[in-house]
Amino acid sequence: MSQTARIANVIRLQFVNRHPFLWVPLLVFGLAVALSLIIYAMIPETGPKYGGAAQAPMWTFLFVGVSAMTLTFPFSQSVGLARWEFYLGSLAAAAVGAAAMASAFIVQGFIERATDGYGMNGYVAHLPWLWESGWWAAWLTFFVFTLMAFVLGFWSATVFKRWGMTVLVAVLGVLGVAIAGALLVVSRREAWGEVIAWFATAGSLQLTGWLALLTAVLAGLSYLTLRRAVP
Amino acid sequence: MNPVVRVRDLVKAYPSGNALDGVSFDLEANTIYGFLGRNGAGKSTTMSIITSQLFATSGTVRVFGEDPYENPRVLGRMCFVRENQKYPESMTAAHALRAASLFYPGWDHDVAEQLVADFRLPLKTKVKKLSRGQLSAVGVIIGLCSRAEITFFDEPYLGLDAVARQIFYDRLIADYAEHPRTILMSSHLIDEIAGLIERVLVIDGGRIIMDETVEEATSALTRATGPTAALDRLARGHRVLERRTMGSAGALVFHGIPSEAASETASHAGVRLESVGLQESIVHRTAAAATATGPELSPSSMEGALS
Repeated sequence: MSQTARIANVIRLQFVNRHPFLWVPLLVFGLAVALSLIIYAMIPETGPKYGGAAQAPMWTFLFVGVSAMTLTFPFSQSVGLARWEFYLGSLAAAAVGAAAMASAFIVQGFIERATDGYGMNGYVAHLPWLWESGWWAAWLTFFVFTLMAFVLGFWSATVFKRWGMTVLVAVLGVLGVAIAGALLVVSRREAWGEVIAWFATAGSLQLTGWLALLTAVLAGLSYLTLRRAVP
Repeated sequence: MNPVVRVRDLVKAYPSGNALDGVSFDLEANTIYGFLGRNGAGKSTTMSIITSQLFATSGTVRVFGEDPYENPRVLGRMCFVRENQKYPESMTAAHALRAASLFYPGWDHDVAEQLVADFRLPLKTKVKKLSRGQLSAVGVIIGLCSRAEITFFDEPYLGLDAVARQIFYDRLIADYAEHPRTILMSSHLIDEIAGLIERVLVIDGGRIIMDETVEEATSALTRATGPTAALDRLARGHRVLERRTMGSAGALVFHGIPSEAASETASHAGVRLESVGLQESIVHRTAAAATATGPELSPSSMEGALS
């Protein structure tokens, strides 16, 4: 069996059960859209209404990442896979899932554009800030964010597997403190205006670039952690 | 012969003590090994390290002459379904078999189908809802059908009834005859697998204490019953492992086989000689190894400790 075939088979292994990668996020997306529409219908406002419900399915990938690691990793080891093969295949499987979700998001966006926001000027997917550089930029943002959620879950589970709960809590705690610290600094300097301006001028594409970089760093950390993890 | 697995001076240290304490052995190609030892002796640890699921503190493992760590060339030729194997969430038994078949080019779908029927394995049931025996059946089917060149079975019989165990043993022998490979099977049901295995590896307290053929293992000890005076003469020069006396008659188990002349003399004096079964032989010798290094343990107190 060729090396590529083995890694492709890891993707198939992760997809033996399609629920977590496809149907659950799609269901969450569908429910999020439905919920948003009901809320839009209750708002008497006639101007365009935007909501952030579309991010909900992205977060399901956090759990997909966790279970890809905690449950599929031990099985992968029983059938003679190297850790790096399992790692690359799982990442590729997440990319396939994220691409499917991003495509569903774009299709939804086109539907919203064609129907003028379901005839009530309400938008879940077709958000101007995401779409300003074109549909492909919106696709890319959704894709990268979903992949990042997966990698974050995968890495957390790997840390847990390798060092246990205390270290995982400590690592996440330190990250949380760092983020809170950054927010504090921004608040103290009364720099929120600048931050918002930066986000506005950077645009979704540049932000996606930064997210991709962060995802790559997390993915690298995941591999280094997985190298000595025990199923 | 060139061994397919070469293990040298394996040590696995834990804060609570060494799980493995200098384990060395070879596995030859196309041989069925029984890997025996008491609970906590280090069987699963050893198998996990050979398949590089677990890391040794020191020592070396070579599989087909290579380091197995992160090495698909050799990892892909092994299969090790653990006794407490975890399966992906919401996977059914059918999913598990299909997933495993992806990684073994030699996977035998017909045998898998036959075994599913033989074990009455419910294919649509989620793995986490399977009974202990059904879970073992999944592991047994994966191990057998993978046709991996080196297959590890870690107490594969847990929860299987006598009929299912016999199906497993029969299938293993039949499949092995057609597709010889190396099999290392840990088991507590020693006499049950005695007819199956060709060599025994016995591990105790993190060390290999026996590494020999089944024949050598069973002929290493002799049991003699008869008048005590004749027994004493017979056992002179042999290491006695067990001695039971009732009045003027008794029974002895000792190391080695008496000479033909000594046997004849003894038999004239009314002594009966028997060989000792594999399980009993291992119980005695495990106990002997324990008394050599640790606190006194009488073989009778060890009876059943391995089963």
